[in-house]
Amino acid sequence: MDPFSPEGELLNIHTAFIQAQYPSVLSDYTTSDFSPTNRLPVQILQYRAQCALGQSDEVIASISDADARSTPDLAAVRTYASYLQKPSAGAVQEAERLAEKEGDNLSVQLLCGTILARAEKAEQALQLLAKHTGSLDAVALTVQIHLLQNRTDLALQQAKSARSFAQDALLVNLAESWVGMRQGGEQYQKAFYVFEELAQSPSSASAMSLVAQAVSELHLGRMEEAETALNAALEMEPENTTALANKLVLDAVTGRDIAEARTKLESADKEHEILADMMAKREGFHAAMAKYSPKFEP
Amino acid sequence: MASTAPMLTKFESKSSRAKGIAFHPKRPWILVSLHSSTIQLWDYRMGTLIDRFEEHDGPVRGIDFHKTQPLFVSGGDDYKIKVWSYQTRRCLFTLNGHLDYVRTVFFHHELPWILSASDDQTIRIWNWQNRSLICTMTGHNHYTMCAQFHPKEDLIVSASLDQSVRVWDISGLRKKHSAPTSMTFEDQMARASQNQADMFGNTDAVVKFVLEGHDRGVNWVAFHPTLPLIVSAGDDRLVKLWRMSETKAWEVDTCRGHFQNASACLFHPHQDLILSVGEDKTIRVWDLNKRTSVQSFKRENDRFWVIAAHPEINLFAAGHDNGVMVFKLERERPASAVHQNQLFFITKDKHVRSYDFTKNVESPSMLSLKRLGSAWTPPRTLSFNPAERSVLVTTPADSGSYELINLPRDASGAVEPSNTLRGSGTSAVFVARNRFAIFNQTNQQIDIKDLTNATTKTIKPPPGTTDMVFGGPGCLLLISPTTVYLYDIQQKKQLAELAVLGVKYVVWSGDGLHAALLSKHNVTIVNKSLEQVSTLHETIRIKSATWDDAGVLLYSTLNHIKYTLMNGDNGIVRTLEHTVYLVRVKGRSVYCLDRAAKPKVLTIDPTEYRFKLALVKRHYDEMLNIIKNSSLVGQSIIAYLQKKGYPEIALQFVQDPQTRFELAIECGNLDVAVDMAKQLDRPKLWQRLSTEALAHGNHQIVEMTYQKLRSFDKLSFLYLTTGDQEKLQRMAKIAEHRGDMTSRFQNALFLGDVDMRIEMLKEADQYPLAYLTAKAHGMEEQAREILEMSGLSEGDVRSPEMGKPVRPPRAIAPTYKANWPTKSAGTSSFEKALMAGGGEETAAAGQDTNGFVEEEDLLAEEEAPRNGHLAEEGEDDEAAAGWDMGDDAVPDAEDEDLVDVGAETTGAAGSSEADLWTRNSPLAADHAAAGNFESAMNLLNRQVGAVNFAPLEERFLEIYAASRTFLPANAGMPPLINFVRRTVGETDSRKILPLIPRDVESVLASEVAQGKNAMKANKLEDGLQSFQRALRLLMVNAAATQSQAQEAQHAIRQSSQYILAMSIELERRRLVGSTTTTADISSLPPATRKRALELSAYFTVVEGLEAQHTTLALFTAMQFAAKNRQMGSALGFANKLVEVGTNAKFKETARRTKAAAERSPTDALEIDFDSFTAFELCGGSYTPIYAGDVSAACAFDGVKYLPKYKGTVCKVCGVCEVGKVGSGLRLTV
Repeated sequence: MDPFSPEGELLNIHTAFIQAQYPSVLSDYTTSDFSPTNRLPVQILQYRAQCALGQSDEVIASISDADARSTPDLAAVRTYASYLQKPSAGAVQEAERLAEKEGDNLSVQLLCGTILARAEKAEQALQLLAKHTGSLDAVALTVQIHLLQNRTDLALQQAKSARSFAQDALLVNLAESWVGMRQGGEQYQKAFYVFEELAQSPSSASAMSLVAQAVSELHLGRMEEAETALNAALEMEPENTTALANKLVLDAVTGRDIAEARTKLESADKEHEILADMMAKREGFHAAMAKYSPKFEP
Repeated sequence: MASTAPMLTKFESKSSRAKGIAFHPKRPWILVSLHSSTIQLWDYRMGTLIDRFEEHDGPVRGIDFHKTQPLFVSGGDDYKIKVWSYQTRRCLFTLNGHLDYVRTVFFHHELPWILSASDDQTIRIWNWQNRSLICTMTGHNHYTMCAQFHPKEDLIVSASLDQSVRVWDISGLRKKHSAPTSMTFEDQMARASQNQADMFGNTDAVVKFVLEGHDRGVNWVAFHPTLPLIVSAGDDRLVKLWRMSETKAWEVDTCRGHFQNASACLFHPHQDLILSVGEDKTIRVWDLNKRTSVQSFKRENDRFWVIAAHPEINLFAAGHDNGVMVFKLERERPASAVHQNQLFFITKDKHVRSYDFTKNVESPSMLSLKRLGSAWTPPRTLSFNPAERSVLVTTPADSGSYELINLPRDASGAVEPSNTLRGSGTSAVFVARNRFAIFNQTNQQIDIKDLTNATTKTIKPPPGTTDMVFGGPGCLLLISPTTVYLYDIQQKKQLAELAVLGVKYVVWSGDGLHAALLSKHNVTIVNKSLEQVSTLHETIRIKSATWDDAGVLLYSTLNHIKYTLMNGDNGIVRTLEHTVYLVRVKGRSVYCLDRAAKPKVLTIDPTEYRFKLALVKRHYDEMLNIIKNSSLVGQSIIAYLQKKGYPEIALQFVQDPQTRFELAIECGNLDVAVDMAKQLDRPKLWQRLSTEALAHGNHQIVEMTYQKLRSFDKLSFLYLTTGDQEKLQRMAKIAEHRGDMTSRFQNALFLGDVDMRIEMLKEADQYPLAYLTAKAHGMEEQAREILEMSGLSEGDVRSPEMGKPVRPPRAIAPTYKANWPTKSAGTSSFEKALMAGGGEETAAAGQDTNGFVEEEDLLAEEEAPRNGHLAEEGEDDEAAAGWDMGDDAVPDAEDEDLVDVGAETTGAAGSSEADLWTRNSPLAADHAAAGNFESAMNLLNRQVGAVNFAPLEERFLEIYAASRTFLPANAGMPPLINFVRRTVGETDSRKILPLIPRDVESVLASEVAQGKNAMKANKLEDGLQSFQRALRLLMVNAAATQSQAQEAQHAIRQSSQYILAMSIELERRRLVGSTTTTADISSLPPATRKRALELSAYFTVVEGLEAQHTTLALFTAMQFAAKNRQMGSALGFANKLVEVGTNAKFKETARRTKAAAERSPTDALEIDFDSFTAFELCGGSYTPIYAGDVSAACAFDGVKYLPKYKGTVCKVCGVCEVGKVGSGLRLTV
């Protein structure tokens, strides 16, 4: 029986994980409560939650070389954690090695797939993920990679085929919403319903869900509601960089000064993508501007 | 004196006795009612029976077409009158009432009435609309044989066997039926007493005249179309003419000639003639004025029963015992001759006239030929001698005669010729400047005569010659019914003969090299040696022809002008309403004579035949010219080109991809074929393309088509033959991936890869084969392994004797690198002409050559989607790095990608939405949102001449920042970037556009409003900045609607004017060194003072400010001027302020200032300010630019500058270059 299926004992912890309720993943579940076969997946989910909370160091520390050698899952987690800690060519190579050797292992697929995708090796990541056997996590990751490549069509196919075997699973809904946010039109509203449901129910609420809700509202042109949701997210996690980045966008959209949001984001994550991007764009602007040589009145 | 010229019969039908005839007023139709109860509808032009109507019982005697409706009426011996529709081809209804045979039926020309005459001695009028009998006229006391309406008046004339003709007045009936208004009793009384009631008190139709004169029964009677005349025909063999006035009618004269009962008669519709027919089997034509016989035509065996005339054209029909004949009385072809730019022709009045083709004017009459021939026979031919300026005219009268007449020098009216030479002969033609030939048909002799009419030579023509025409210099063409002979007069020798049936006319081309022989239904083109060039057949009568200067023959049929080329290609040039005789074609004009012998010019479109001619003559330049300058595109021309073997030219015309593909294949233009196949993307087309490309040796295209078709085996073999090992390897991998063992084996064989083969055989569980393969290639280790796997030892296997392993042959030449060289035959001279000519075609042709450069991309394209496909299917294989060619369950989306080669450019990844934005929009703001700053700048530069982008930096980045959001997704992955759209509801990728922050409305509501407030609050620096911000925001923006865009443009204008005004005022304050208006500047140097005063004046004239702000400017200027003793200026400002001011307090001050200033309205300092002249202010120097002065403007805000500022950055907007012309700022997509 699939341990992640609705009857399985992993369901709750997994749901908590994908809802980004990482503290809950760590504190509400202990490995020993689970049946022996499920202990490893729980352990891995917890490691991943730790990584998501920025505790990669601890994860690396807690996995010994021996463990890593014997269990590919753990090796993958360790590589993953080290990559998150600091993206390095070594970690990518290790991920590639694992992918080649232990490509059938789901953890390897997910974690190494993530690394490869982040290292701009989307093709390899997709190949690796294609080996999954009915894992919705893999599907979700595949969808995201497709979207990353702007292949909305392929992402949609993935989501659809996942729906055919997993019906109304949360991850399927989420994946479809991600695609929907690219498609636009009516899909915005559908995505909004999914995110809102997650964000507004106390059992599933997380900063991430709130951010997702805010983003969908922003796309729908409901700026005030978007702001409310973003503020709620920031209240929950004042340092959530995604929320801060979206705050900056929202400020820009509503025509407010973006300096404040930028400062906040800088203090939370100096190297956040949007900041780097804006910087690059500014440079690009200067470069483009330099092609014109305006004459001023003498 | 009656002539017995042959009858000009146009149509004859064979049937039983024809008793009634009716012409259709417009169409070439006649209705014939027969004694056998049938009614026939004939097309007399085509000679075809259109329809038959058989519902009457017994003979049908009366028949008539309705003038306008698709109806006809018939009356028969079954006492019935039937009304029919020839459209629905059935009898609509029957009018019953007559008690004996119905003799004639006629429609009224305007009222819905039918008039019938019957053997029951009555004449009846029926309303065919309500199908009722409305009047019965009694009076005749024997059969009434005929009754007709008067064509205009309310009269009826009837004829009866009681030997009388009666005229009836039916005005009463008309009144009764056309005035349905109620009448008072008095009116009725008055009306009743007005009309003389007959003995039965019937006032509807009263007998007006009774005409007695015939000694026997009268068979027919008819009104004259215009004159008050009546003609009747009776069994006393006489045709009688009657005249009537208002009050009486009397017999005028009698035409005697018929020697049997005269059965019908009528007036000629246009000429002063009477026609009658009789049982003596003759048709007779009488002169109306002299009552003498003009012509008579006799039929051998058939008695004539009825005659009818066409209302418009010169046609008659007569019914006899064995059918109907349609004929005309005289030839209508005007005799004419063309010499250079002049046409000589003979009019209906027998006047000779000329027509100048260059001036398009007709001369007055030059000669009258009244006395030539007989009165009613027009001249037949005209031959012109330019040297002597004389004409030779023939007429068929007196069994053929000719007359030689000198034309007067100038046309001065229809003078009778003074000295004419004449003789008898059927044909006459000038053969030299002082010789003419006369042909006499009766004695079969040709006389060559000099200008004194003396015979110089006599020629015996071939027997059976019927006509003679000009045959080229010194020659004659002699025409017999079956043959045409070319005869040399000098040598008295027949040069050539050609068997052509029934030639009637010959038309020589302008250069005299060709002639067209016209028969009734054939045109035969011959050269001057009478060798046939081409011939064509028409189903309809050919009337005339003329040659185009380029050697195209235009000919006219009864209803068309057509053309034929020398090679026999022909077509319709235009349709004709009336028959015309062509005499000349020049450019788009065809000159012709109509049947009334009036010169006419018809406009034609010669494009088609010119094009075809150019094609035949291979004048590609001209063709190109025609293609470019006319809308000569159509199925017919394409089909024509294709049929004639010019597919490559047809290709230039075709848009439809399918047809283009066909044509491209046909003419071997693979590039175009590839393009079209890509567009259509159908396996069948790829199939055909592959065959064709293979035949061409173009293996690159073959490869592509095989890829499209997924013909893996063929593809492998192609790679083998072209020696492309690398691709063969890939094919092997694909085969492996597809799990197609056979294909794998084959590819391995092609590659000579033994390992692969063994591997494959092992996988297929074919261990014996694998073992043998290994063994055969001496791969002992492999062989051993296989044995081990199978659990056998070497001893267990008995292998046959092995020969040496055979290697597949290696390709020596790297063919795959390039196509087989082919001789470059691609561009025909036509295409070259097209290329040279430039134009769109060239571009298209140029692109074609790219056809398969894209091919590599295509492979890459294929790889991308296929990976996705793999992932989804869960099939693992690293070899599938590209190229799963699995042929099943390919999702549609992939196929679309394959087709849409152009759209996807970046290989694996699709284009991001930002790219779509730039593609979808010409707005700088949208490009900025997409992060494509460079193109955004480029757009602004082109639209408004923007050059200094520094002020726009924040705006660009702000837009960019607002364009994308971050959606957290999977743990560990960066958030998904989504693109914020302003088209929220849109999903069509071609219409989505980014959200642009700070829309026009918000700019108006904040920056612009703030600026105005600042103006009011006298915080000019702040205002300046606000307006400048507004300008920048508006410059890079997107308007939702057109009207919003206009609002934005208005705001731009206004803001820039405010900036200008504020800058001027700030400049003044800087000069004065004070912000107050009342500062005393007497201490400053005069130049500064002058400038300060000027600036304050200019501040007031900036246009576009709101009234209250102008008021402020005026007030400031007034105060400043007054303070500095500029009382003249102050007065001006005060006046203006009183006039337009919005502030009561200011106005009050103004009035006081005015009062003070009026005392001495002079300026202490002369300033450059004239309030009475309109001027604008230079945005750079703040000095006036008067209307008409040279100036440059900013393309964005419209502020003007002195020429010296041209090329600098506009000081108002700070972005655009002054004087640079732009296409204008775009704010809507």
